[in-house]
Amino acid sequence: MEDLIENLTRGNVTEVKVVLASVLLALAVYQLVLAAVSYRKVRLRFLDSGPATWVHRASGDTIIVLAVLVAVACLSYYGFEEGGAHAVFGCLLLGALALKVLAVRIGGSSSPLLPWIGIALFGLFAATWLTSAGDFLGAS
Amino acid sequence: MRPSAQIIGSILVALAIAAVAIAVVTAHFGPTSSAELEVQEERIEQREEAREERAEAREERREQAAEAREDR
Repeated sequence: MEDLIENLTRGNVTEVKVVLASVLLALAVYQLVLAAVSYRKVRLRFLDSGPATWVHRASGDTIIVLAVLVAVACLSYYGFEEGGAHAVFGCLLLGALALKVLAVRIGGSSSPLLPWIGIALFGLFAATWLTSAGDFLGAS
Repeated sequence: MRPSAQIIGSILVALAIAAVAIAVVTAHFGPTSSAELEVQEERIEQREEAREERAEAREERREQAAEAREDR
């Protein structure tokens, strides 16, 4: 697995991970905006609640796929030992993602838990990014 | 605005956000193409060579000055 990741990224595992994690964080910010429009907390003339919900879900599906890819690359290449706070935040993030998917599947889109899980997810995305990509970009 | 147009617009915004994030982060890494890296390495080598030549010239001048002093 380690060789596969090294070959796919042409030896730039950290750089690819930093780029993907940054895309994830940027999309997570966009998800917050879409969720606010979806719950009618923010009203925009050019975007209604229905389309915002649809795109929030589509973008969320993309985020899940990307997050799983980054997590697999991270765990198989670096493992848990070097992780520290980043590993803890990463695991909590994956757990929160799974919880949100479950909440949507079981409770539907009207589940009162969803906004709270969403906010927690965003916080975890930010914390996970800050403890790896943020550190790396700050150092370089 | 029609809902389908809103959806397409929102998806395009998401793609633009992803593209900007990729551009900003890769710009932070600097040049990554092998051609650009080779040019960079060449420049560093040239700078080192020039520095070594200057040091040698300085050393020679110092030796010549010492020899001239001894001759006197």
